[in-house]
Parts: sequence; C-alpha cells; structure tokens
Amino acid sequence: MGNKIFVDARGSSCPGPIVELSKAYRNSVVGDTIELWATDPGVKADVNSWAQKTKNKIDSITDQTDKIVIIIEITNR
Amino acid sequence: MAESNTKPKFSIILFSGTADKFLPLGVLSDAAAAMGYEVGIFITGFALLGFTKEKHTLPFSFEFKDMAPMLEQGMKATNTKGWYEMIKEAKEIGDVKVHACSLTAAMFNLKKEDFDPIVDDVVGAASFLQLSEGGQVIFI
Repeated sequence: MGNKIFVDARGSSCPGPIVELSKAYRNSVVGDTIELWATDPGVKADVNSWAQKTKNKIDSITDQTDKIVIIIEITNR
Repeated sequence: MAESNTKPKFSIILFSGTADKFLPLGVLSDAAAAMGYEVGIFITGFALLGFTKEKHTLPFSFEFKDMAPMLEQGMKATNTKGWYEMIKEAKEIGDVKVHACSLTAAMFNLKKEDFDPIVDDVVGAASFLQLSEGGQVIFI
C-alpha cells in the first residue's frame, strides 16, 4: 500500500487547489493516494481534467457541508 | 510527470500592459504548469513594462476602469494571488519560460539586464513561433 498524502486547499481559489494538488503529486509515487480538501466549486471539474491529463484516477468526489473532499489514486508518475 | 518530449505545449502571447490582463496570464500559466504543460510566455509591446526590474504600476483597462476596485476586492475575498506570484509559482512547479520580444524591447530601449529575473531570454518572433509550434497559443 502506498502513502496517503493530505492536501488542504480550503479557501484557495482557481487555480490554487490544482496547483496545491500538483505540488503534492510531484512528491508522490505510484500507489499513493492524495486526499484533497477544497472549497472552490470549480475544483470538481478541474480535478477531472487534471487526472485525465496526468493519467491518474479520481476515486471519489464528495460534497460535504463545509468542503469538497476528493480522493485521487496516483497511477502514473 | 510525463516525459519531456511528450509534454503538451501551451503558449501565451501577452501584448496588453494593463493590470487586469495580467491576471489571466498568471492564472492560465499556473494552471497549465500544474497540468504538466510546457508553458511558453511571449511578452511583447506594453506588456514588457510589467516585467522590468524597475517596477511600474500597471494601469487598468480604460473601458473597465470603474470596475478596478471591485476586481481588487474580489481578488482579496477569493485569496487570489497576484500575477507575478502565480508566474513564479508556475516556474517552480513546472516547465515555464518567459520570452521577451526583442523588437519591442529595442523600441523601449530595454536590454536583457533591465528585465526581472523571471524573464528567461530576449528573442525574436521566429524563435517564439518555433518554440510554440504544435501547441495551443492564445493572445492576450
């Protein structure tokens, strides 16, 4: 099992959450999981584009009352 | 990150020298770098004045001048970084180069050493066309 990396991008607007995600991604290896917290609603579409472009996998996108929680599986480095 | 020879390219030609147009430059460069694009920024015309060591206060687009305070407040409210900070961040996380136009640099009597270190080189239009070939190019 890989590591679990936590990224808190709450309060950050476009393109902040994707930039924070890419910073965590640079330090990750295949098999790791990134959990991204964000409040910018644009992140839901953007994270899908990021995953397609970088060939990684979105496991889940969950709306919570105070944040959006996204779980990304690192399948390509 | 994808191998360098397979990286998609995204190029921006920034001609405008107004503060409002520097914002999308920062946002798109930072986003493209985060997505793994090779980013080329060609600064020309009035945009050069935003990239000199000597800091000029950039004017706001004339037609939207009344809305400048609203944009400034909105940037604060959304924690949006300034364009310079975004370009610096983009350069840290990705493959981002800033090329200054040699023709307009000469018109404004600007040399390589007059530019902020964020500028990688001073090149002609032919160099930029070759560098951006095969990728997406936008003009701001």
